[in-house]
Amino acid sequence: MLGLATGPVCLATCGPVVVPWMMVQPRGLRGHSRQLGLFLAARLAGYMVFAAAVWLVGSSIPRAWVGRTWLMGGIEVLLAAALVFYAVGWPHRRCAAANPAYAQASARHGSMGGLVRIGEPPRSLRSGALALGFLTGINLCPPFLVAGVRAAQLEHLSAALVFFVCFFAGTAVWFLPFLSMGFVQRTPAVVTVARMVAVLLACWYGFSGCSILIERTFYG
Amino acid sequence: MASGSSTLRAPALRGPAALRRPKAFRGVGRSILLTLPIALWALLMFSPAFQRAGRDEHIGAAVVIVFMTALFFLMMRTGETYRWRRIFFVALGFLFPVGFIAALVAERGTMSIPISRMVSGDTPFCFMVTPSIILPAAFAKTIVFPGSILPTASNPHSIAIMIGLWFALTLVLGKAWCSYACFFGGIEEGFAAFAKRPKLHRFVARYSHILRLVPWAILVFVVLVSAAIFEPVYCMWLCPFKAVTEFPAVRNVETAIQMGVFVALFLGLVVVLPYLTKKRTQCGFFCPFGAFQSIFNKINLFEIRFDRTKCVDCTLCQTSCPTVALSKESIAEGKTLLNCMKCGACVDACKKDAAVWHLKGTPVAVKPERARLLFLYGAWAMATMFGGSILANSVATMMHWLPWK
Amino acid sequence: MRARILSILAYTGAGFTLLIAACVPFVLMGVFSNVVAHAGLHIDSVYTGGAIARTIQRDGYQIVVQEPVQPRLLERVEPFVQIVFEPADSLPARVSDEVDLNGDGQPDVRVSFSVPVDAGAKLRGDVTALNGGYVSLVNVSDESFSRMVVRTGNKIVVRVPVNRGVVAVAR
Repeated sequence: MLGLATGPVCLATCGPVVVPWMMVQPRGLRGHSRQLGLFLAARLAGYMVFAAAVWLVGSSIPRAWVGRTWLMGGIEVLLAAALVFYAVGWPHRRCAAANPAYAQASARHGSMGGLVRIGEPPRSLRSGALALGFLTGINLCPPFLVAGVRAAQLEHLSAALVFFVCFFAGTAVWFLPFLSMGFVQRTPAVVTVARMVAVLLACWYGFSGCSILIERTFYG
Repeated sequence: MASGSSTLRAPALRGPAALRRPKAFRGVGRSILLTLPIALWALLMFSPAFQRAGRDEHIGAAVVIVFMTALFFLMMRTGETYRWRRIFFVALGFLFPVGFIAALVAERGTMSIPISRMVSGDTPFCFMVTPSIILPAAFAKTIVFPGSILPTASNPHSIAIMIGLWFALTLVLGKAWCSYACFFGGIEEGFAAFAKRPKLHRFVARYSHILRLVPWAILVFVVLVSAAIFEPVYCMWLCPFKAVTEFPAVRNVETAIQMGVFVALFLGLVVVLPYLTKKRTQCGFFCPFGAFQSIFNKINLFEIRFDRTKCVDCTLCQTSCPTVALSKESIAEGKTLLNCMKCGACVDACKKDAAVWHLKGTPVAVKPERARLLFLYGAWAMATMFGGSILANSVATMMHWLPWK
Repeated sequence: MRARILSILAYTGAGFTLLIAACVPFVLMGVFSNVVAHAGLHIDSVYTGGAIARTIQRDGYQIVVQEPVQPRLLERVEPFVQIVFEPADSLPARVSDEVDLNGDGQPDVRVSFSVPVDAGAKLRGDVTALNGGYVSLVNVSDESFSRMVVRTGNKIVVRVPVNRGVVAVAR
């Protein structure tokens, strides 16, 4: 129930990452289901890691825990890097021989510059989904902490893990609408816009993460 | 060769057309007849101003009535749209900040918005915020803007009024909002008109197919992040026009960075780049609200089309378009791109009358002048009502400053 | 035939567009504004403060305590409680009040500020937390949305950050 109730929170938190990532994938419901499944599985892995850590600590995590902000800042910077690496594909392989599909697509549509490559996605789809899913999974947003507080109070580690599985299931329901992106037509313009969005989001997360880390460094 | 590039030397354009139409397109009598509805509309819109006390307001209203009527007459007489529309639009762009800043300074002595104003809900609502507030409003019934839902004595530009006005205008104008209603676009259109010849012509021609996608990316970014952090992200971080209207008071490092971004974006996108490229770079390559308005082009009945039987692919239309809303592919299909603002530059530039105004559902290039008239009556009526009232207010404000008063 | 019907529809639509344009200032704008006004929307509580929790009467003025505002999602604001002293014209030159914020009968903060004669002058004040639930503020004016002592119209608005170590503030 907690997961279902806080699902919109997770949606808004992870949505900015999921949307451009899904839009750079090729069109198709099956492919999107696979990618979303990988993303959610990695997110679940992040949840399990957190659940185990919280339970092992053995006490509730106060919101004033200073380490939390260091962790959030670091995660946001990593998320920015992951977005640039996977969704944008920078730094990218320049050699057409290593990526013949890219060379064919470029020949068809014309080169559009380093940032806006079209045709084949530049990186492994699987590792991208896993990386982005895991990073969003361990991002310490408020509902996540509430779930952590409750899990830490449970008697057994297995109970904490099961709690988080159920919490995850409740939040995952809210991600199902993202599958509809599989139906959106993948014109070069759509993919290019998605990559640009990923760059902007990477700038935002990078700025946000660095602000947190700088503030922590200077002000404690 | 990359799609969308051009090897043409930038023509020395003093207006949208390298070759002019014959000066008289229509007789004086007929032009006056066609202008009458607009003249009557302007009188209707501004007659309440004559009943109010204040000689300055009377002068402002009178100036606008004559101004808008005269421009429409010239549109009818010459058959050109872009040149006369641009005069109104540049006037609006430069005079709006005059009236706005004067009002701010008179009320609180500064252009900056202190937090106390945001807390009291006195921040006037601006249309540019609209995309940012949609998702939080839809899912949480929350407006992420420090204004007031209903008008108050200290804030007549409430959210309900401004959104109601925006929606009503958009029903009529669609994306033509960016050519007939937006009170910011005229600033860069003015700077774009200064240079005789564009300096960065090749850059724009080569990368236009990427640049015109940037507003969409910024729109998606702004919508997503605004929903995530419940802040009007465009307002707080990306609006270039904060530099000439009002901005959050600088009180810490973050607000200082914001101010720096606003000024840099204004100078870059609104002043320097329009001058160097003779394009509306902020509107065409950045503004997310413009991308948002483009969606309404799908339902608007008016558009610009190309008669392929007359087109000789000289690309004058492409060169003259201030927002690169034309590509080789779209012209080959006889259409503009979705971000066409219906400013009329391409129609006026075309020497072969291949670019024409068109009413969806009717044959292309059959009675295009009728389509143009139908469009212009609606657009100019809205421009007179909305932009004209801003101009009248600014003129009245300037009258207050006259030394001999 | 089809082309003829389309043309008729097109010109009818154009006519309607002109009709809409004519109605905008007289009817449509008001209609759409009313729809928005009655859509059940509200301004984000980060700007307005929370709902009114209780009103405390003092000699010549009142203190309005509002519900705590908790940050939503990734909102970059500390949780805070808004306190309003009104009317500002009736306040003494120096205000120093202990205020119960959570309704447990015990004062939680002491708010102190001097009311300038000039209503437009910048206000500064101190908030001393009397328990661990709130954060003390020293010589604060309009530092942030969660830390301020400002005058808005005929009211003095004070915002006190809630200590993040407190998961929930009971009423």
